[in-house]
Amino acid sequence: MSTAGVRRGATGFTLLGLAGLIGLFWMSFFWVSTEVNQGIVQRIFYVHVPAAWTSFLAIGIAALCSGVYLWLRDEKLDRAAVCAAEGGLVFATIVLLTGPLWGKIAWGTYWNWEPRLTLTLLLWFVFVGYFMVRNATEDPEKGKRFAAVVAIVGAIDIPFIHLSVIWFRSLHPEPVVAKPDGPTLPGDMLATLMVGLGVFTLLFLGLFLFRYALEGLRSEADLRARRPAS
Amino acid sequence: MIRRVLFLAAALAAVCFVGAADVSALQSPALGQQNLRPYWHVFAAYAIVIIVIGGWVVSIGRRLRQVEDRLVD
Repeated sequence: MSTAGVRRGATGFTLLGLAGLIGLFWMSFFWVSTEVNQGIVQRIFYVHVPAAWTSFLAIGIAALCSGVYLWLRDEKLDRAAVCAAEGGLVFATIVLLTGPLWGKIAWGTYWNWEPRLTLTLLLWFVFVGYFMVRNATEDPEKGKRFAAVVAIVGAIDIPFIHLSVIWFRSLHPEPVVAKPDGPTLPGDMLATLMVGLGVFTLLFLGLFLFRYALEGLRSEADLRARRPAS
Repeated sequence: MIRRVLFLAAALAAVCFVGAADVSALQSPALGQQNLRPYWHVFAAYAIVIIVIGGWVVSIGRRLRQVEDRLVD
């Protein structure tokens, strides 16, 4: 697909995502019922969980593209991996900032070194490391290969994050949607959550495509800059 | 007489103390739920979403413009 085509797709997804975000905010503040036990603060759920899902999706894409890049050495795959990794880091940041705001009211503390929180923070640091490794090597090709390995290692953390609340005694609540018996949320809460998941996924896809177009243009500019010298 | 008054006063003080302890135990969580702090936390969380995603949009836009300028030069 051409850069112009990618940018058209990116604009479509992003505009749809932004419109959906307004809809999600309206649903969260004015439509969905208030949870009985936690009260108003439970509404953080409708941005916290979709951000977590989107960060896992982004990091999964980054790891998949990195793995195939290590095999095929196709530059497009490395570009896709770096764009997805950036998205993963952005959405993981949202998770790590909104979670403590909820935790302070629900648990009485902003942070607790329990398994899920600790593993999520570890994932965030691994992907900060991804960009550090990528930019720290003198040989860019070597940096790309090292970063690809870091992305794959980082993605291994995702199943542990999901299962940590089941395996260990944890302060964090167990899954209410992704579980064998099916979702246990009331209908309006589940609908708002699903809208949130859709909106965050659309926003990620739109911005991922913009970022991918940027990487394409950057490599073109680098190629042009090198051409007169050679 | 004095002994009886002291006994009654002590009993009254004990009842008041126990009652006060019970009332505070009942009231503190209820009063805690009545403050506006949870609302601030919800607004802060939604503001963070707007700021972080908006920041990423602006960052991508700036970098795109820089690369486009490089390509035009």
